[in-house]
Amino acid sequence: MSETTATNNRLIATKAVLWFLVGVAATVIVARFARGLGATTALTDTTPWGMWIGFDVLSGVALAAGGFVVAATVHVFGRVRYHGIVRPAILTAFLGYVGVILGLLVDLGRPWNIIQVIFHQNLHSPLFEVAMCVMLYTTVLALEFAPTALERFAPLRPAARFLRRLVLPLVIAGICLSILHQSSLGTLFLLTEGRMHPLWYSPVQTPLFLVSAMALGLAMVTLEGVITSWLYRRRAEWSQFAGLTRAAAVVLGLYLVLRLGDLGARGLLGLAVDGSWYATLFWVELAMSAVIPILMFTLPSSRGQPWATGWGALLVVAGFVLHRADVGGISHIAVTGEAYVPALTELAASLGIVAGLALAFLFFVEKLRIWEEPPAAPDHFTRPAYDAVGRQFIGAPWLGGGQRAVLATILGAVLGVVLVEGQLAARAGTRAAPVDAPRNVLIARSENADGPGHRFELVARGGDTPCEETDGHRRALLIDSGDAGRFVLYEHKCHKQRLGGREACALCHHRNLPLDQATSCTYCHRDMYEVTDTFSHEVHERELGGRASCVACHPDPGAAKGRDTARPCDECHRFAAPEETLVRATMDLGPGLAPGYMDAMHGLCLRCHLEQDEAASAEPYLGRCATCHRIDFSDKDALIRQTRAVIDARVARAAGRPPVEGMNP
Amino acid sequence: MSSFAILTDVTRCTGCESCVLACKTTHETGLRDAPRKWQGAATDLSSTRWTTIARTEDRHVRVHCRHCLEPGCAAACPVGALHTTDEGVVAYDPSICLGCRYCMMACPFRLTRYEWESTNPRVRKCILCYEKLTDGELEQPACTGACPEGATIFGEREALLTEARRRIADHPDLYLDHVWGEHEVGGTSVLYISDVDLVQAGWPASLSADAVPGLSDAVLHTVPTTFVSVGVAMAGIHWIIKRRQKLAAEAASAATTAAADTGTDTPADEEPS
Repeated sequence: MSETTATNNRLIATKAVLWFLVGVAATVIVARFARGLGATTALTDTTPWGMWIGFDVLSGVALAAGGFVVAATVHVFGRVRYHGIVRPAILTAFLGYVGVILGLLVDLGRPWNIIQVIFHQNLHSPLFEVAMCVMLYTTVLALEFAPTALERFAPLRPAARFLRRLVLPLVIAGICLSILHQSSLGTLFLLTEGRMHPLWYSPVQTPLFLVSAMALGLAMVTLEGVITSWLYRRRAEWSQFAGLTRAAAVVLGLYLVLRLGDLGARGLLGLAVDGSWYATLFWVELAMSAVIPILMFTLPSSRGQPWATGWGALLVVAGFVLHRADVGGISHIAVTGEAYVPALTELAASLGIVAGLALAFLFFVEKLRIWEEPPAAPDHFTRPAYDAVGRQFIGAPWLGGGQRAVLATILGAVLGVVLVEGQLAARAGTRAAPVDAPRNVLIARSENADGPGHRFELVARGGDTPCEETDGHRRALLIDSGDAGRFVLYEHKCHKQRLGGREACALCHHRNLPLDQATSCTYCHRDMYEVTDTFSHEVHERELGGRASCVACHPDPGAAKGRDTARPCDECHRFAAPEETLVRATMDLGPGLAPGYMDAMHGLCLRCHLEQDEAASAEPYLGRCATCHRIDFSDKDALIRQTRAVIDARVARAAGRPPVEGMNP
Repeated sequence: MSSFAILTDVTRCTGCESCVLACKTTHETGLRDAPRKWQGAATDLSSTRWTTIARTEDRHVRVHCRHCLEPGCAAACPVGALHTTDEGVVAYDPSICLGCRYCMMACPFRLTRYEWESTNPRVRKCILCYEKLTDGELEQPACTGACPEGATIFGEREALLTEARRRIADHPDLYLDHVWGEHEVGGTSVLYISDVDLVQAGWPASLSADAVPGLSDAVLHTVPTTFVSVGVAMAGIHWIIKRRQKLAAEAASAATTAAADTGTDTPADEEPS
C-alpha cells in the first residue's frame, strides 16, 4: 500500500467524522429556528447565556487571535522566519471568525436584526464595540486571505497582487481591531459583576482577556499546525512552533502576574484557598492554562521538544476554553444557584460548527497554497474491479471520500433528529403540580378592627378537629390556594345553608363518582394547572368484560376508536352529573377531561363572589382576592409550620410521582 | 410629569395580586401561568408575568423591573432596544432587538425575562406602562391603579422619596430607616419601604452603590485613543525595524564585498529569535 493511500485513509476517516458532526448540527440548527431557543437549549431566564456564547463566541474569538499575532510578528516585527505559518494562521483566524458569526447567529433570538447594529449604535455598550470590531476584522481577514484564493485563478491575479500591496495597512488595522475587541470581550463582564464569583470577576477583565487571547492565539496556531501536519503526514514547522511557544510562555507569565496580582491587590486570594469547589476549579484552570504550559515551554528538559510543544499548546487551548466558560457562565452558578448543563443539542451545534470549519480548512489546504509545500494530492478514487478469474473484487474500498462524507452526514442528521426530539420532550410542557385535598379546621371569626373583612383564629386543625362546633367556633376547610402551600379558608356550612341545605350539594358537586353525592373537587381537578384525564380505560375494560366489551363504548366498528367517537359518558353515568348546577363549564375540553384546579377554582368560586360583591351583599369585599387569599390568622406560626410540612410532603411526592394523566386512585 | 416612579410600602401589601392581574390584563400576557418544566414556581417572574409577589413568611413584596436611573441593561444593549426615556422609564423597542440577551446578564437584580418558547422572542419586563401613560390611555400604571390597599403608588421620584421619608419619620418604630432604591446601583425609580429587610424577599444581598455601567463606560472611553495609538505604534515599529533590517543588509553586503578577499562570511539576514 502506497504512502498516499495510507494518508488518504487517515484523512477520509477524519473527514467522515467531521461530516457526521456537521450532519448532527445541521438538523439541530434547523430545529432551533423552527422551534425556538427554549425548546432546543437548556437556557433559562436565570442562565440566559450558555454554551453557544461561552464556547462558540468567547472561545472562538480568542482561539482565532493567532491570526493577528502571527501577522504582526512577520509583517510588523519583521520576523520573516515565521512567514511559512502566516497563511495557515490567517486562514484559521478567518474561519474562526466565520464560526463565531455562525455560532452567534444560531444563538441570537432574532438574528435577522443583527444588521441593526450598524443603524442603531449604543456607544455605551461593550457588545456594540465587539460587534463592530468583529464585523470589520472579519472583513480585514477576508481581504488578507483573498490573495491566496485569487492567485489560483489566472484572470484574478492582478487583484491578488493589488491586495498584496495593501498587506501592511491591513495587518495594522487587524491588530488595532483585534486588540480592541479581544479586550472588549472582557469588558462585557464588567457589567455582570452582580452574578459572578469574585474569583472570576475582575475590574481588569479587559487586559486579562487581551493577554490571554494572545497566548491562546499562539497556542492555537501551534496546535492546529501540529494536528493538520499529522493528518497529512507532513513535517510540522517544529522550529517555528517552538518559537511561538517560547513567546507564549512570556505572555502566559504576564497573564499569571496580572491575574494573581489583581486578586491579591483586591485581597481576594483567600477565596482561592478556601477549599471550595470554585477554588479547585480556579486552580485547575490556572494550572491548565498557564502554570503547566509555562513549565513545559521553558524547562530545559522539555522546551522546544515536539511533545512539549504539542501537548503544551493543547493544555493552553483547553485551559483558556475553560477560563472563557468560567467567566461566561460556570462562575455565575455560585451566585444564581441554578446549575446549567448544556443540552446535547447545544453541544451538537457547537461541535458541528467547529467540524464544518475544520472541513473548510482541509479543503483550502488541499486546493490552495496554504503551506509552502502543498500536501500530496489524493489518489483518484476507483471502484474495486471484479476479477472474473480469481472470482473476487480487487482494489480500493467500496466507498470513496465523497460517498463516505454523504453517508456520514446522513447518519449525523439522523442522530440530530434523535437529539432534538429528546430535548423537545425534556423541555416541552409544564411540571405536574398536585393539589392538596381540603382539610378540616376549627376557627374563631371576629370583626377586623383595622381593615376589611374578618379576622380568623385557627383553633384546631387536622386530626384534633372536633366534629361538633362549640363555643362559637366554626368548622372550616383549608383549601389549597395554589400559592406555594398557602390556603384559602372556606366555610362549608355557610355556603350549604345559603344555597339551600342538603338539596344544594349538587349545585357545587357537579360531577360525582358512582354512588357518591359529594366528590371532592381535587379528585378530578388534581393538577394545579394542567388538564387531567379522569377517564381510566383500564377500569372500564375490566368492569365491562375485557376485550369483548369494546362495542359497549365504541359502537361503530368502522370508526377509529377514540375519545371523540366513543359514546358520551353520561349515557351510562346518568346520575354522575346533576342537571342544575351553579358550576358551568367554561372550557369544553371533551369527555373525561377536567381543567386544572386553578382554572376550575376561579370558575367555581369567583363568579358567585363577584355577583355577591356587585349586589353589595351582607359580606363586603367578597370580590377581592385578598378577602380569601390571606393569612392573617393569629396562630400564624402554626399555620406556617403546617404549610411547610405540606410543601415538604409535596416535594417528596413529586420525586416519585406517577404522571397526572389517567386515574390511579 | 417629569419623572415616573413607584413607591411600594411592604407593610401595606396583602399579597392579593391585583397588581399582577392588572398587569396581565393591560399587557395581554395571558391570565394563566403554569410552571414550565425548566422554571421555578408558576408565580415567579416570567415572560408572561411582568410583576409578581415575592412572599416571605409573613410579608408580600412586589417584584418587577426597578427602572434603574443608570440601567445596566440599557448600557449592555448594543442597539439601544432597551433605553431610558426622559421620564426615567427603561423602555423596550422589540423591532431592533437582536436577542443577544446581554441585558439579562447585566441586570443587577436579574429581573429581565425572555420569551424562550417563541421563534421571534422578545425581552419581557415591566415597562411602567410607558406608552399607555404618554398616550394618555392610563393616568397611572395599571398595577398602582389596581392596588386596593394603596400599598404601591405612582408619582414623581422626588415626591415619592419625600413621602417615603415622611412615613418613616411618622412611624419610626414600624419602618426600617431605609428607602430601598434610593441609592442602590446609582438609584432606581422603583422604591420600597419596609419593616423587614428586603434581602429576605430576594433582594440581592450586596448591591454596589455605584451604577452598573460605570466601569465599562470608563473602559469604552479609551477605545478611540487605543485604536489610534496602537495603529501609530505598529506603523512606527514597522518603520524602525524595516530601516534597521535595511541598514543591516547594506552593512552586511558592504562587509561581504570587503570580506570577499579574506574569505570570511557574514550572514546576510541575521534572524533574531
